[in-house]
Amino acid sequence: MTAPLPKRIIKETERLQSEPVPGISAQPHDDNARYFDVMVEGPGGSCYEGGIFNLELFLPDDYPMCPPRIRFLTRIYHPNIDRLGRICLDVLKNNWSPALQIRTILLSIQALLGAPNPEDPLNEAVAKQWKENQPEAIRTAREWTKLYAQKK
Amino acid sequence: MSEDARSTEKSESSGLDPHEDARALVRLIQCAQCSRPYRTPVTLPCGRSLCRECLPQTHERENISYPDLPGRKQGYQCPYVECQDEHPVSDCSIDVTLTKVMDSIAEIVAKHASTVRGTLTFTEEVAHDEAISMSTEKPPTRQTYGGRLMATYLLAAQGQLAYNADLLYQSISDQVESERGLDNKLVKELLETTHREVDCQVCYNLMLDPVTTTCGHTLCRKCLARVLDHSFHCPVCRRGLAVPTSLQNQPSNKTLVDLLNGLCPDAVAARVQAVSLEDQPGEGELDTPLFVCTSAFPGQPTFLRIFEPRYRLMLRRCLLGNREFGMLMYNRYHEPQGELGTVPFYQYGTMLQVLHCQTLPDGQSLIESRGVYRFRVKSHGLLDGYTVGSVERFEDVSLAEEERLEAEETSQPPPADETDMHAVISRMPTQDLLALGREFVYRMQARSASWLAQRVLDTYGQPPEDAALFPYWFASVLPIADEEKYKLMGTTTVRERLKITASWIRRIESQRW
Repeated sequence: MTAPLPKRIIKETERLQSEPVPGISAQPHDDNARYFDVMVEGPGGSCYEGGIFNLELFLPDDYPMCPPRIRFLTRIYHPNIDRLGRICLDVLKNNWSPALQIRTILLSIQALLGAPNPEDPLNEAVAKQWKENQPEAIRTAREWTKLYAQKK
Repeated sequence: MSEDARSTEKSESSGLDPHEDARALVRLIQCAQCSRPYRTPVTLPCGRSLCRECLPQTHERENISYPDLPGRKQGYQCPYVECQDEHPVSDCSIDVTLTKVMDSIAEIVAKHASTVRGTLTFTEEVAHDEAISMSTEKPPTRQTYGGRLMATYLLAAQGQLAYNADLLYQSISDQVESERGLDNKLVKELLETTHREVDCQVCYNLMLDPVTTTCGHTLCRKCLARVLDHSFHCPVCRRGLAVPTSLQNQPSNKTLVDLLNGLCPDAVAARVQAVSLEDQPGEGELDTPLFVCTSAFPGQPTFLRIFEPRYRLMLRRCLLGNREFGMLMYNRYHEPQGELGTVPFYQYGTMLQVLHCQTLPDGQSLIESRGVYRFRVKSHGLLDGYTVGSVERFEDVSLAEEERLEAEETSQPPPADETDMHAVISRMPTQDLLALGREFVYRMQARSASWLAQRVLDTYGQPPEDAALFPYWFASVLPIADEEKYKLMGTTTVRERLKITASWIRRIESQRW
């Protein structure tokens, strides 16, 4: 029943290993080549600096016609990421294009950590705090990064 | 003639040798207009390329109202004698892939030009046109450094090699091997540096039957077709592809096809074989589940309650696969259906994609689906009680043909009889036919027509501004017989569909007032 893995996924996986992106890694599972363990470092200069965030990434059957499904596993205090780790990012939804790839999507997520957007919130409470008391929100984000996003 | 045919055949099956076929190889990248290697090439809708500088003067296009986009008001007359069509300015963009390939070629030549002083190639031009070679004195013999390939390229780059001219190479016996080595090395290097450029950005394989969008981006034909099932935007630059392109009629990028066939025929052959294997289980077999039930249209929602066991099975299998099934209308009057003869359904249908499916406790399912594309049934059979078939996509003619038809019809002399509804409608500009439809909808809305109640609009949306989609929307909401709506299914132009909707409107109006 299972169809062979498309050449595109094989090539993307190879290139992620042979030309890694600094601060990002994605490793497929041995028993499921469509399921990746992802690690993203918080960008320097942001309130997530020094944090190492784990995510899970799954390539659905109709990938690359549909975007990969991605979720944060590490808890994170961010207006565009909710308690379940779901991410509000246009390229993961309507703005997905088959010319994008795992690499570019992970870079977009890293960029989202560097530029939280409380105007388009997924986590209302965090977004509210971000707008009303930004220094406090950034302090919390730093604390959470220290608490949850450290290398184990 | 037969000689010619054989030589093209050869180039397609066995490729071109960098040394023996140096002249032919360089011709592949020469602009047929200026004879130089392509400089910032533009690929036209007819699939042929030329330098941006070689584009002819633009002119105002006449008698065309649809699609109403600024870039389509101006056009170029295609300078290729094989084509000579009018290409809208907005459809002629710089060919991104070909431009990168040309840059790589120029870089490789520049890199080697300084290191090949030891090798000399003597060339002599042979004019194609016999009249010229008879009248003028013997053409000069030129000396150029480098192997045959580089020498030929440099001649072209200097503007000294006409597109149609052939070359005679005089080899010096002890240099043949070093020449051949250099020619092979150049091609090898070119393939290495450009392999990522000629990989499709969707499937990551060597482009197979590359098609270039109006915004200048190139993908495999099959990949572009899949992309267009999901969105009418270019996957690379997100520019709207304006109108659902009819890929069947879109020519391939001729230069890229010839280059790939010439330089790496084995890789192309391997791709063809791999793709035919992928398609095998489907090709020619009854692989599409078909549901004979109701009318459905591309881009429009269809809601269904699936309760018969055979269709429950069909739905489950469909959800495991690509979530698509074909919707066909019941042929209640036993009308013959082309080569299928008299069958229980109409031969043209709409492929539906299941968006949501809710299975109720009693096993029934409520599904929300959306029409993806039209198809025609080629053959059919039964599988576990439901109909299955082999179908082929059914698409509109090319945009160029669409425009040609409009120009032809709207420039007819006015009808002799002003009351002849069909004659009047067939002379109306496409955009006016759309306006007629939309105004009718707004007028009916103002009169609170029951078929335009808010819940209907909530389901189907407001009347689309896109002329290609308006008739499908209109047919989805208008309370007329399905057999009448079916007339839209076999149409091949936007205009034809709008003329049908206009005739419905005229008939409704004549009955009521």
